[in-house]
Amino acid sequence: MKVDANNFVSVAQIAVNDPDLQEAVSLGTYNGYSKRLVAMFSNGHEHGEAMRQQAAAMRRRAIQKLPDLLELAEKNMTANGIKVLWAETAEDVRNMVLDIAKKRNAKLVAKSKSMISEEVALNHAFEENGIEVVETDLGEYIIQLNKETPSHIVMPVMHRTKREIRDLFMRELNMPFTDDAAEMTAFIRKHLRQVFVNADIGISGGNFIIAESGSLCLVTNEGNGRMVTAMPKVHIGIVGIEKVIETIEDYATLTQILPRSATGQQMTVYMQMINGPRREDEPDGPDEVYVILVDNGRSKVYATKYAEALTCIRCGACLNACPVYQVTGGHAYGWVYSGPIGAVITPALTGLENATPLPQASSLCGKCKQVCPVDIDIPRMLLDLRHELVEKGMTDKIFDVGLKAWSIGNRSPKLFIMGGAVARFGTRFLPNRLPGPLGGWTKYRDFPQFAPKPFRELWKERKKGKPS
Amino acid sequence: MTSARDRILGKLRAAQKPFDELPPAPPKRYMSRPEDLSAEGLRARFVQEVKKLSCIPIEHADAESAIEYILGVIGEDSSVITWDFEQIPLTGLETALNDRGIQRGQPRDDKVRVGITGAVAAFASTGSLMMTSGAGKPRIASLLPPVHIAVIHGNQILPDFDTWIEQKRAEGIGSFNRPANNFLITGSSRTSDIAMESVLGVHGPGEVHVVILV
Amino acid sequence: MYLPERPSPKGKRVSLFVTCIVDMVYPAVGMSVVDILEHLGVEIDFPENQTCCGQPGYNSGYRNDAREVALHFLRVFADADVIVVPSGSCAAMIRHEYLTLFADDPVWLPHAQRAASITWEFTEFIVQGLGITDLKLRLPQPQTFAIHDACHGLRILGLGEEARTLLANVENAALEDLKDADACCGFGGLFSVKMADVSGAMLQKKIDCINHCPAATIITGDTSCMTQMNGGLSRQKSVKRVRHIADVLAEGLKK
Repeated sequence: MKVDANNFVSVAQIAVNDPDLQEAVSLGTYNGYSKRLVAMFSNGHEHGEAMRQQAAAMRRRAIQKLPDLLELAEKNMTANGIKVLWAETAEDVRNMVLDIAKKRNAKLVAKSKSMISEEVALNHAFEENGIEVVETDLGEYIIQLNKETPSHIVMPVMHRTKREIRDLFMRELNMPFTDDAAEMTAFIRKHLRQVFVNADIGISGGNFIIAESGSLCLVTNEGNGRMVTAMPKVHIGIVGIEKVIETIEDYATLTQILPRSATGQQMTVYMQMINGPRREDEPDGPDEVYVILVDNGRSKVYATKYAEALTCIRCGACLNACPVYQVTGGHAYGWVYSGPIGAVITPALTGLENATPLPQASSLCGKCKQVCPVDIDIPRMLLDLRHELVEKGMTDKIFDVGLKAWSIGNRSPKLFIMGGAVARFGTRFLPNRLPGPLGGWTKYRDFPQFAPKPFRELWKERKKGKPS
Repeated sequence: MTSARDRILGKLRAAQKPFDELPPAPPKRYMSRPEDLSAEGLRARFVQEVKKLSCIPIEHADAESAIEYILGVIGEDSSVITWDFEQIPLTGLETALNDRGIQRGQPRDDKVRVGITGAVAAFASTGSLMMTSGAGKPRIASLLPPVHIAVIHGNQILPDFDTWIEQKRAEGIGSFNRPANNFLITGSSRTSDIAMESVLGVHGPGEVHVVILV
Repeated sequence: MYLPERPSPKGKRVSLFVTCIVDMVYPAVGMSVVDILEHLGVEIDFPENQTCCGQPGYNSGYRNDAREVALHFLRVFADADVIVVPSGSCAAMIRHEYLTLFADDPVWLPHAQRAASITWEFTEFIVQGLGITDLKLRLPQPQTFAIHDACHGLRILGLGEEARTLLANVENAALEDLKDADACCGFGGLFSVKMADVSGAMLQKKIDCINHCPAATIITGDTSCMTQMNGGLSRQKSVKRVRHIADVLAEGLKK
């Protein structure tokens, strides 16, 4: 998928003025945020926090040992009958999948939701090669039908209202009029049934890979994840190399944390541990299972101070909690991963020059870290990225000059006092709207009046009046 | 010539370890673990959780009442998708279906309305059914038909997923990854992709009955 | 969040860091802090060469520029036994970010660590530092308040209960709940001008909550957030205003 993050400011401006988007995203983020709060702390605050720390420690341990765990996972998956492939780039992934599809003479591919397949622009590659690919997650199906991209890691179509989705189904699929989400869902269910039955290949992502058992784990709710891994003859799982975990006990812990953080469920409806193709005595399941381990920049991130971002389990909690995401939605972030974690991952994976506004797209309020099930210090990384922007000369010159003046003015009490006096004088004559960068302030707020006397003078007067 | 695999692993190995120091793993915690671990307590909690998930638990069923209940759900349908009968802990089910002239449908027939399965275990803390693929146990039976009836024995109810994993750990990792697919079912297929409205029965069954035999 | 262990500040002289914004824009808040601390019998010193903690530069990525300002701070407060700051975010800057800023500087790191260990946010100093929860204050008239939890005080320093406890014990003060009290007001320093439309939309949500809140006055512990919220409330001609907690407490002193 093309990176379009440098337009954050202008896309966000459109988003905050789009009433449909505001309605949909407010509803979606509020829903996710409040459900998570209940689910995570159903055994009390202390217990929920302890669970977070347990999950955080486990993910950090796994990332610390990543190369060893990947080798172990490969060995055990192979022993289980899974064909393991390694892809360095997005293009590698597309070529590998197309090779398999051509070998099997595939005409129809059924996909379950996978962010990494968006990352490597897989659907486009299928279409170019005349292979029909159908997204089967309801939200992803809507996205595909509307020819747009997902705006949320967990809720891909969070930015659309029910009215918009209804109109889309009526326009594209001749759905009879209804206002009922259950009727719309039933309509799509019927529509997608034959896709599952007839698909030659099923494609999924992967939430985790358990190294010690060689299992690909999928955590889903609708059932399409089970369909695409059970019905077609071939199943291909596309998984980032960072998704490997050490033990099945770790999986049990993470499955308590992930659904609570993502959707506020105790458990998702279907939690699969896929150990390979159909065994000889089994009545159904695919004959071939592939797992493509995808790097696509991750090994580069591994060597930086943003490696902590690789512990992310893609629950979307930081998106729901983020006051910026709540008013912009996900598309402004310009790539697959949005919200606070996207503001770190996008520059880290695709290059800072392709995403210069993202580290700035935060008030550093800290909610992302607070809700993160694995306690990723996103504000710390945003600050590091901002520092990198300055070091690499990727900032606006007006701020370079302004902050330099600020720094010089605040190293010297004399200059500081002088600056205060100028501001005190100046703010008396300020118009209601200011030009330049300060115009951003006065567009929504009045400017504060500087006090007639600074504190330091009041302090002196008080000391004079009340000698100690 | 180095492979992609070697290059990726090489880069990871060449990098400094991402974390300076890793604190020792904190003591293990579990969410919502049942307090009453007696058979009665586990069953009560399981039933409570199943209800919360908008599924239908049938308690204290003996073989006769279980069969009667299942026939009631099947109603006038002429076929069902089922596991092999020896995999379902309910004697007499096969005969009862035959007596009614109810056929075993083709596994990929998406016209069949009801699927009948057993389970390898059930978890009280979350109301989950633990399933493993295997001989005579088509995965489709709990997936394709819109109505799923799972028949379990009361003594199959464990406290939680972690307990089941402890059992697998004791038996050896091979007992965990021998089946091609282990999966948990917790509630009915659901989505809230359209305006956050919770809708049951998207692609999997929207109606799940859990018959608990005494 | 890693915050170092700290020595008790009881009985020690307090060096007041009023912050640049209080010094220039809200000096009355600084005087209220002085009133309350003197009411508690605390000896106060105001190092006159103080300027800013360095947060604006640090948060925008200008670490070298921020470091120079932070160095100035460390020099000015080198002799302090206890530093009290009427701002959660400036206190968090000193206690948390200075350790990053000077991590690779063997000369100044010990000074940064010392400053971090003796710096207290205003309400934190009173409740946690001095162990005082009842200031024996009485407002002249009954008033209703609600608290906006400023982000850095809440999520870096873990504050929030302190302000509520102090206010609950003030006679004639009634506390109401502010919806989404822990949601950011949208200020975020230069964020408010670089991403003005996003910041404005965040502010609007906060203003809606404030306007729907039964309390007449919203209280917070950071003057920067106060500037953002009052700037919006004033622009929209709302009758509601946000005040710094020190001002409200000082109003309860018997004059």
